[in-house]
Amino acid sequence: MRCVPLLIAALFAVSPALAQDFSAGSEAKSWNLFAEQPALFEARVVDILCEIAGDCPANCGDGNRQLGLVRAVDGVLVFPNKNAQAAFSGATAELQPFCGMDVEVDGLMLEDPEIGARNVYLVQKIRKVGATEWTAANQWTKVWAEKHPEAAGEGPWFRRDPRVKAEIAEEGYFGLGAGREAEIKAEVFP
Amino acid sequence: MRTPLSLAAGLALLAAPVLAAEGTRVQVTGEIIDTWCYFSGVMGGQDAVVGSAHHTCALWCSAGGIPVGLLGDDGTVYMVLKIEGDGNNASGDTQLNLASHVIEADGMLYQRDGLNYLVVEKIVTDRDIVVENHLDYGTVPPFAIPQGER
Repeated sequence: MRCVPLLIAALFAVSPALAQDFSAGSEAKSWNLFAEQPALFEARVVDILCEIAGDCPANCGDGNRQLGLVRAVDGVLVFPNKNAQAAFSGATAELQPFCGMDVEVDGLMLEDPEIGARNVYLVQKIRKVGATEWTAANQWTKVWAEKHPEAAGEGPWFRRDPRVKAEIAEEGYFGLGAGREAEIKAEVFP
Repeated sequence: MRTPLSLAAGLALLAAPVLAAEGTRVQVTGEIIDTWCYFSGVMGGQDAVVGSAHHTCALWCSAGGIPVGLLGDDGTVYMVLKIEGDGNNASGDTQLNLASHVIEADGMLYQRDGLNYLVVEKIVTDRDIVVENHLDYGTVPPFAIPQGER
């Protein structure tokens, strides 16, 4: 009987310590974010909706699902929100080729509990456990361009994305309706 | 011989699936947000990365596959995993069409490792964009509207 509280205490005492610092060996580049910490660790790539709620399509959803990292050392589910590009892009395209695999990742961990950010991650590079070569987590724009050959052209992807352009055409840049757009622009840009 | 470290890690691994398997039915009202801008502060404070001021950026981030969240009226952030049967939570159409909208959601809440996860089974109400903060913040980021279209 005495073992049970001791084990529970060990769980809560040791796990937070494990979560605090994964910076050893990290080569992650700073983004000068308030809550960032370099973090290099091993993990398994999972479909988060599958991991959380048991909704599990084949191949982690084929690039349409948010992918997570179940950290090897403590089983914590890390949520990569961002890839390494400064282009409004997430991490799915980077992690999808590693679906179900054990990988090593390097990047920035965000821990800001006051606003709900726990185990949020920006992934900068990935490699299978045991591999020597890293893959840079900057493939998103290439994947987007392959999906949208009709949107080829000059300028950043987010100015050319067909769905974004359709939304803005219908609702305006402020989303309050095309009918109010001129009035709002006059107020914001007098 | 087991070390205290491996014992603790083993306990954590055993505990995680138990937490993951349990969901709770909830009703949450809040705004569909771009979680990266909200969590990172890369575009400014939390009040600046919601509503009409940030709407274009919210579209870009949702289309770009950044996870969307539901920012509850009490400030709690829920990572949205599925909306009315649409599990395409990385750049999916359903979440894109709801960018910056305030919705009342009925669904299942899961909690793991400090994050709240929400499977929205039904959007009870969709109030469209409610937070009009463009007079306070302009556009976030400032280049959201191209120079020639201002």
